[in-house]
Amino acid sequence: MRALFNLLFFPGGLFLIVLALAYEWVDRKLLARFQNRIGPRWFQTVADIVKLLVKEEITPATAHPILFGVLPVVAMAGALTAALYVPLLGFRPAFSFKGDLIVTLYLLSLLTMSIGMAGWNSTSRFTMMGATRALTQLFSYEAPFMLALLGPAIVAQSWQISEIVAANQGPWLLLTQPFGFVVALIGLMGKLEMPPFDAPKAKTEIVAGALTEYSGRGLGLFHLGKEMELVVGLTLIAALYMGGIANPLEFFGKTLLLLVILSTLHAILTRLRIDQTVGLWWRYGAVAVLLQWLALIAWKGIVA
Amino acid sequence: MKFGTMLIDVWQSFFTKPVTQRYPFERLEAPDQYRGKLVWTAGKCNGCCLCMKDCPANAIELITIDKKAKQFVMRYHADRCTYCAQCVQNCRLECLGMSHDQWESAALKRQDFVVNYGSEADVAHILATYGKPSAEPAATSATE
Amino acid sequence: MSTDLVLQKVETLLAGFAKGTAKPEPNRLDLNIDASDLIAAITALRGARWGYLAALTGVDLGKEANQIEALYHLCEGDAIATLRVRVPRAGGAVPSVYALHPNSMFFERELMEMFGVTVTGLADTSHLFLPDGWPDGMYPLLKDTDVKAAAARTMGSEPPEMGRQGDRFIVPIGPQHPALKEPGHFEFAVDGELVTGATVRLGYVHRGIERACEQQNYTQNLYLTERVCGICSHSHANAYVNGVEQLAKVLAPPRAQAIRQLVACLERIHSHFLWLGVAAYEAGFETLLMYSWRDREVVMDVLEQMTGNRVNYSASVLGGVKYDVTAAHAAAIRRAMDTIEERATHYLHVVTTDTSFLARAQGIGVTSTEEADALGLLGPTLRAAGVTRDVRVDAPYGSYQQFPVTASVDSAGDLAARFKVRMLETLESVRVIRAILDGLPEGDLTVKFPRKIPAGETISRFEAPRGELFYYIKSNGTDKPERVKIRTPSICNWIYVLTKAVGSQMADVPPLLAGIDPCFSCNDRMIVVNRHGGDRRIWTREDLRRHASTQTRR
Repeated sequence: MRALFNLLFFPGGLFLIVLALAYEWVDRKLLARFQNRIGPRWFQTVADIVKLLVKEEITPATAHPILFGVLPVVAMAGALTAALYVPLLGFRPAFSFKGDLIVTLYLLSLLTMSIGMAGWNSTSRFTMMGATRALTQLFSYEAPFMLALLGPAIVAQSWQISEIVAANQGPWLLLTQPFGFVVALIGLMGKLEMPPFDAPKAKTEIVAGALTEYSGRGLGLFHLGKEMELVVGLTLIAALYMGGIANPLEFFGKTLLLLVILSTLHAILTRLRIDQTVGLWWRYGAVAVLLQWLALIAWKGIVA
Repeated sequence: MKFGTMLIDVWQSFFTKPVTQRYPFERLEAPDQYRGKLVWTAGKCNGCCLCMKDCPANAIELITIDKKAKQFVMRYHADRCTYCAQCVQNCRLECLGMSHDQWESAALKRQDFVVNYGSEADVAHILATYGKPSAEPAATSATE
Repeated sequence: MSTDLVLQKVETLLAGFAKGTAKPEPNRLDLNIDASDLIAAITALRGARWGYLAALTGVDLGKEANQIEALYHLCEGDAIATLRVRVPRAGGAVPSVYALHPNSMFFERELMEMFGVTVTGLADTSHLFLPDGWPDGMYPLLKDTDVKAAAARTMGSEPPEMGRQGDRFIVPIGPQHPALKEPGHFEFAVDGELVTGATVRLGYVHRGIERACEQQNYTQNLYLTERVCGICSHSHANAYVNGVEQLAKVLAPPRAQAIRQLVACLERIHSHFLWLGVAAYEAGFETLLMYSWRDREVVMDVLEQMTGNRVNYSASVLGGVKYDVTAAHAAAIRRAMDTIEERATHYLHVVTTDTSFLARAQGIGVTSTEEADALGLLGPTLRAAGVTRDVRVDAPYGSYQQFPVTASVDSAGDLAARFKVRMLETLESVRVIRAILDGLPEGDLTVKFPRKIPAGETISRFEAPRGELFYYIKSNGTDKPERVKIRTPSICNWIYVLTKAVGSQMADVPPLLAGIDPCFSCNDRMIVVNRHGGDRRIWTREDLRRHASTQTRR
């Protein structure tokens, strides 16, 4: 019974949807203010989702209709489920078990892979290119991102999120593992396809990338899934690198601070080409995080 | 090798008012020279029709009731007008001008764009002659 | 080298081919050439590195003469040499000069579809501007073509093929695409991310301007030519006015000419800021778009104050200008220039130093000086490759002799260089505007201008923000022109995109497209007819929905 409540209302389900829409609003409003514009009103994101959900869904003639309809649901399900294992709003995660960090990471990747599959399934020229780019980007940032998030796990000697948080009560890990923090934060931008890593959905090149043929409900669910992923990602990074989240105030404070940093980077950088993204990650991202790991292992070896 | 050269702009913008003009709640005044709707004063016109000759869009019709008595009605089609002010330039008696405050001229029907300038009696006479106010005007000079 | 000597060189080179020469204006030389000698003549000029092919005009000499004249205009500095080739109206043919001048590809296709002259040796003979379903044998720019008859015939339009074409994966950009501000159709064959082939199809914004010019009087045409393009509207109007004033042998008063130059410089600033935003947006730098367009408003407000409109300023009239620069205007312009100078300097700094931006702009679409010259590029696209070719410097018109301009040149030849050149041009324009305001001559705004223009031909060249604008105007003694030919710079620059796109990444193609500052409206000036022919039914929402869903499964 409690499980059902968690799943549907709090901290997953309805609450998460509201939180995701609120964070999207903050992101868009920040970006607008950075660009000297007014930005959306407070209910804009809700209105957008409602509009998308009630719009007619047009299925391309050459796409597999069942797959076309199911993939958005899978994507959102992945994001919803991932939220159950992170300390949303500062409370203990709804469910917690050994190894849930890995499960969370894979659930987050599920969304990107559904986008890739959706793009391939749509068989339009733009979606094929978008899907290819989305998956290429996934392959490039996923390894460094995962390694960066596993850094705190090594220190805490556990794969369980709540235990990692509990073990890192000393100085914030972003100070002791700066490379890992930077890689994790930038990796989150890559996962969310936020500029400068928005090559998979580059509007001026491939219209909307993998989601070009989606309109209506499918697009609404993908969109919502992305926003939920934003919240979950921010929570994860804040929990692991910023000394855990003890209460709602800390939750909002830390995650919003991270969001401000992300929005600023979004505003001042140009979109990278997909080959430049891959180059960046495999050259600098991977090297940075491996150096970090070496330092960690050496430290562990000396101290412990 | 500079990273984030627009950071200063972005940071400053955060603390300044957005440049967006919240039209129609905030409405800036157009400058004096702005070319809005055409305005014609009947008294000075002598019916030379130079304005009509050079209008690229056939937006002006000068209907002569009595040339000697200088009784004219000008039919102005605001929907055809390109707001180029060539007619204003051509008129030697300064009968024409482009208003600078009448530029919000959206309408739902084509007929609402037709403006009849002239004295009340003259305009009424023309409308009576042509029948319904929404009647199509007499054949205009062809461009094809 | 004086213009006379330059033209004498042409006479010497082509002595063997010219069947007759004439010098209608001091800087122009006309040579009558047979179609069979055309290639030899152009080869001789190319061999001596004389001039570039500026335009190819077709003129219908009428049913009685039963001939069409093709005019090949080559320009070197101030001098213009025109090779005049006459062919019969039906079945006439000229050889293609594509091998010598690649940008002639577009000119020749236009000649073919508008006049019915066959161009032999041309690889791609498909329609450039006219729709695919256009009836055969109907050539819009012939004097006796009844365009309305063409409209009466139904023209169907097939949607383009989806998916793969044989082994090639085609990515269409346009006619509707977020990358394009105006419709145009590009097809890029890609292999993964690498572009292997490119074709272009224009004509989606045809408005029939050249033909319409023949049916309206000279004053009305002022406003028609102005509306060829929104951002270079003043350039078009001015080029036209300069041409007609040359024909009528009337000179506008100095104050009017200075005001025309003032507006032209303001327009250049406006255009370059617009372009900066658009090009940055194509590369993914949205913030620069927002900021540059915010700063553009400053210029537009000044132009609105002075001329009464933000776009389509209508400042020039035949024989002068309509509006004066008062003290209040001058003060407002100076304030605006201070802001613009500061912002343009900042943007110059951004586009030359920002790492993430340079990653998308440096080394993209590099052309060497020789290649840029050989391709026949124009405007900042050419000047960014190190070629100093600017009509304001080579053949100064109007008040440009009193307020000279220095051409902005950069030798890198890539996209980043184009950004730099345009920002430098903006700063140069600011300097010139200040100089004009300081030295504005007193005097009248207009001078008397005849209604009927004596018969003759003239060529007027103007440096629009995008490059050289070429107007050929032929008058016949009445108050309506006989022929107005408008050759805009964007049509010459497409060849750059097609050449450079092949071998580059797909993601670099929209910035490449934006880099030449394309103006589709400038290109498409030919006849337009209702696409669905006689089908006058207005499509309701249901019709549109049904049409869209026939492409999909429901």
